[in-house]
Amino acid sequence: MQDPNRKPRRSDGRNNRSLFRRTIFLMAVLGVGIFLPLVAQLYKLQIVEQEDWERQAANQQTRSVSVAANRGTIYDREGRAMAMSATVYKLVLSPMSVYKSVDKEKYKTEDGKLDETAYEKALYDLRKTIVDGIVDLFGYDEERLWKRVERIESGYEVLYYELEEEDAERARQFISEKRLGAGLQLTPSSKRYYPFSSVGSHILGYMNQNKDSGDNKVGAMGIEAGYEDVLSGELGRVVTSKNGWGMEMISGYEMYFDAQNGYDVTLTVDERIQAMLEQTLAEGIETYDVQNGAFGLAINPKTGAVLAMASSPDFDPNNWDTLLSEALKDEVEQVAAEKGDDSDEANAAWKDAWNRQMKNRALTDAYEPGSVFKPITVSIGLEEGAISMDDRFYCGGSMSAGPGLKPTHCHKKSGHGDQTLTEAVENSCNVALMTIAQRIGAETMWKYFEDFGLFDKTGIDMAGEGGSIFWSGGKEYFTGPYGVQSVASSSFGQTFAVTPLQMISAFAAVINGGHLLQPYLVQTIADQDGNTVFYHETKEVRQVISESTSDKVRGILESVVANGSGHNASMTGYRIGGKTGTSEKIDLKGKDETNDDVMCSFMGFAPADDPQVLVLVVYDTPKRSAPGSNYTASGTYISGGNIAAPMAGALIANILDYMGIEKQYSSDQLAAADAVMPYVVGKELTVAKGTLQNAGFECRTVGTGNIVTHQVPSAGVSIPGGSNVILYLGDDAPERQVETPDLTGLSPTAAKTRLEEQGLFMRAAGVVDYTDSSVVMAAQSVDAGVMVSPGTVIEVRFVSSIEYGDQ
Amino acid sequence: MARKAKRDLTIEQQLARGPIDLPFLALVMLLTAIGLIMVLSASYASAMYNLDPAIDTGGDPLYFFKRQFGFALLGVFAMFVISKIDYQHFRWMSVFVLGASIVLMLMVFVPGIGKSGGGALRWVKIGPVRFQPSEIAKVGIIMFFAAGLSKRTGQPAPPKKWSKRTFTGRMAARLDRVGLLELIPYGVVLAVVLGVIALQHHMSAMVLVVVAAASVLFASGISLGWFAAGGALVGGALVWIITQTDYMKARIEIWQDPFLEPRDGGFQPIQSMTAIGSGGLLGKGLGNSSQKHLFLPEEHNDYIFSIACEELGMVGACVIMALFALLIIRGFWLALHARDRFGTLLVVGITSLTAFQTFFNIGVVTNFLPPTGISLPFFSYGGTALAIQLAEMGMVLSVSRQIAAPKAE
Repeated sequence: MQDPNRKPRRSDGRNNRSLFRRTIFLMAVLGVGIFLPLVAQLYKLQIVEQEDWERQAANQQTRSVSVAANRGTIYDREGRAMAMSATVYKLVLSPMSVYKSVDKEKYKTEDGKLDETAYEKALYDLRKTIVDGIVDLFGYDEERLWKRVERIESGYEVLYYELEEEDAERARQFISEKRLGAGLQLTPSSKRYYPFSSVGSHILGYMNQNKDSGDNKVGAMGIEAGYEDVLSGELGRVVTSKNGWGMEMISGYEMYFDAQNGYDVTLTVDERIQAMLEQTLAEGIETYDVQNGAFGLAINPKTGAVLAMASSPDFDPNNWDTLLSEALKDEVEQVAAEKGDDSDEANAAWKDAWNRQMKNRALTDAYEPGSVFKPITVSIGLEEGAISMDDRFYCGGSMSAGPGLKPTHCHKKSGHGDQTLTEAVENSCNVALMTIAQRIGAETMWKYFEDFGLFDKTGIDMAGEGGSIFWSGGKEYFTGPYGVQSVASSSFGQTFAVTPLQMISAFAAVINGGHLLQPYLVQTIADQDGNTVFYHETKEVRQVISESTSDKVRGILESVVANGSGHNASMTGYRIGGKTGTSEKIDLKGKDETNDDVMCSFMGFAPADDPQVLVLVVYDTPKRSAPGSNYTASGTYISGGNIAAPMAGALIANILDYMGIEKQYSSDQLAAADAVMPYVVGKELTVAKGTLQNAGFECRTVGTGNIVTHQVPSAGVSIPGGSNVILYLGDDAPERQVETPDLTGLSPTAAKTRLEEQGLFMRAAGVVDYTDSSVVMAAQSVDAGVMVSPGTVIEVRFVSSIEYGDQ
Repeated sequence: MARKAKRDLTIEQQLARGPIDLPFLALVMLLTAIGLIMVLSASYASAMYNLDPAIDTGGDPLYFFKRQFGFALLGVFAMFVISKIDYQHFRWMSVFVLGASIVLMLMVFVPGIGKSGGGALRWVKIGPVRFQPSEIAKVGIIMFFAAGLSKRTGQPAPPKKWSKRTFTGRMAARLDRVGLLELIPYGVVLAVVLGVIALQHHMSAMVLVVVAAASVLFASGISLGWFAAGGALVGGALVWIITQTDYMKARIEIWQDPFLEPRDGGFQPIQSMTAIGSGGLLGKGLGNSSQKHLFLPEEHNDYIFSIACEELGMVGACVIMALFALLIIRGFWLALHARDRFGTLLVVGITSLTAFQTFFNIGVVTNFLPPTGISLPFFSYGGTALAIQLAEMGMVLSVSRQIAAPKAE
């Protein structure tokens, strides 16, 4: 340090130099230096992060309001609306707007401080008005609503999704009366209605929100889901710019994106046939105490169009989140009663029951077709020339598929003896079928499985289709030495599983001239103006067998119903062909050898010479009266022929009736066909008898005399030919009302006699064989004990009680 | 007033009639004009919505612009008037300016005159004029410091002024030697001014007064050790405040990540960055800002630069910053060429003040610096502030008149 005394501390020049240097320094720092980080920061915000900030700006500066598109209607093939939409309203609360609408500035005192108490009270009062009003109008949970109205960070709380017009009007009035327009809003949306409730539920599906759809409901299953894009149309949007207070920005912009209404979808399904099929399943389940539900299909075998597809239990798409079937409800309640209402077990039971009712087994689940598959094996044999119509097959009760293999038993242990090909199928003889398969050979069998489409999904236009389950070793195993037993078993439809849809498609190919067709559900799609934008043309996958083979198999199958194990499906006036099946369930067999659950099924078609409809009905596990017993509690032999065939036969007849297909009668049947009662009152008895004989009636007389004074039935009434009409002579007159007798267990002859004793007439249906004592009454159209007028025609359905084994 | 003939003037008076610096004047006028346009654009929406309860614009979209324009005219007039004054008079005026500003700052607390704004009493209203007296204090302190420190001629101090016999005398001599005694009067004046501003809880004004005073002290040649010591003291205090008080800690955290509190503390920075970022390279075009529609608070005051960035893009923002940089560089150039030390220090003080204000404002709106309420010179809405700003520029121009013309070759 310098000595201050000797030298001046600073000279003037030095001082000025310092001033100069330091000013230069400031100039550099303040004139240039400070701007460098600022430019860098601007570069970061405006160039590097520009897109992020632009998005942030767009998010807060624009408001996008969606404009609902009308969802298309789903029609059945006759134009009945099965799923339709109607306008409903969403009630939306904006807690943020409610909060903002109370202006803090109004509650500031002179010195600019906020008067907390007054402000809080105003806010509370406004919220209370809203809460009280909504609770009062719609019974919303008060505590929950208070919580929601206090979420000030939220601008969008949907209180109700589907307020119908009436309720919406009440809400509208409330909003305008109390001036709550800022906080509460009604926006139109749409609700889906299913007028036929559970009919076709698995086909139609239902509507629900999912994680991507937000508030909007989208199709969650079936056609609603599969054709979501087609049905939903496109939401329209109005994009407006808004300012920081949420109002429309001055000099802002607006953009409109028009809503595009959804297309209407017309199904191949017929609501009436669908209802018939569901009814058939339900009746069978109840009659035979079926344990695991049932499923069925009805298709047009010439096009592949699905007329009906049902699985029981089912659900109501209007209330899909509740259980529909009483049986399922009981099951869940039982668990709930044991384990507690909200126990895990009860919830699991509910979930399980719900899953079961939502499952479309006709589409998703593979099952073992059993003997229903036999016509396919036969058609392969005929097509390949391995067998002919004249071949005979001997059944000794069992047969070994190959050297060293355990013999496979036919269901008739004593054997069917010598049979023609037709008889073998009528008898559903396993031994004969194994013989046929041996003649065809494994290689060819495999090729035809492929050709019949059993390895591939059918490609039906519906999501969720299941696949088949075949031997894990594939072709190599099947055609190799270890596959011999599988080849034999496959001939009668065991040891593999296919979906009901695959089975019916293959069967359709067998009877329709050999054409494997792709099954489908959607016939047309049309826009809102009715212009067709899509029409389904029949899609043939391939020709599998020839016309003539198909023709032969149709003949055999008609014979199965007329004379064989399918006899119970026969309906007077209709030429029905078909095949029964009683199949073991491999998936269960694998786990439990003693499990003897079976599926009773029937695949039938009519008319046999020109099939218009092909029906498959499967009942899963009719309850045995006791373990090991072959009968249900009501005494019905458990087999496809005794359980599924009568149900399917009636269904086919109903469908043909509905479709307006004319009845065809054989000469025997023709004799029993209806004839018109002539007028014979006042005539001499002998003359009257002659007239009646000419008309095809028999008669008995009541009273004495020579002149007919009354007749039952009256003239002009149609009654079955051969009926025993009553002629009254002298003073005797018919009673006014007679009681319908109970015909349970009676043969056709006995039933006819019994009815005629009462002055009633019988129109027989089902298995009508007056000579066969095994045929018994199955159902009567008027219940026993009901009073009816004399001369009433009672329809009586008969079935054969012969035990049709057809495993 | 009749103009005296040149011959009747003293040399001093003749010098004071020299030409003003045209580049500097041009930059000032250019910035004022751009600033006015930006006020028009930025305030248009909020003036029309008329939602600020403190100011009733009557829904006139030009409300703010008209007032700002009026003050700009007044300010430009004041600038020319002041530039005519021989700046040597500012030496004696400085005492009165500083004194008056302190009195005015105390009047803030007089009911009827003081007005609140932004939650604190910072304004006085005299007649129709409403202003922050702290604006005047900034100029006052620069003038006072420049006047005082310009006398540091560097001549040897009077020897033996302090008695070596007494302890106090030796102590005083030692303090004198390190230059502390010389600083004491300035320190006292600065402390008084800061104390009065502190009463108004006006942090940003304190910061500006300190940096303005410091730059004058720095230029005047005060030992760098004092700056090191002062800087260490202020830095230490800042670190202590930031780490030890929850309030400041929270503010720093929000500054680092405004999205922590997007509705409260982070709201303004987010809105500001949204405006700047969405402007991109070329901007949305003059008048097309969306953020000024009630999103960005203070859009025509402290945050007007964000709107400029949004509308004019990075290119426009850089042009504006370049004009500021040129103004500052020209200011220092004038300081270097000033006729005497007083002129140099006065211009250094005013230019530095403008530079710091610009830096702090743009730093805050771009979230480069934590939020403080410092307005942007020439741009931010506020009539009296603009007028005072222009008056300061008048002082610089006054100094520029006495710069000797370059010798003709």
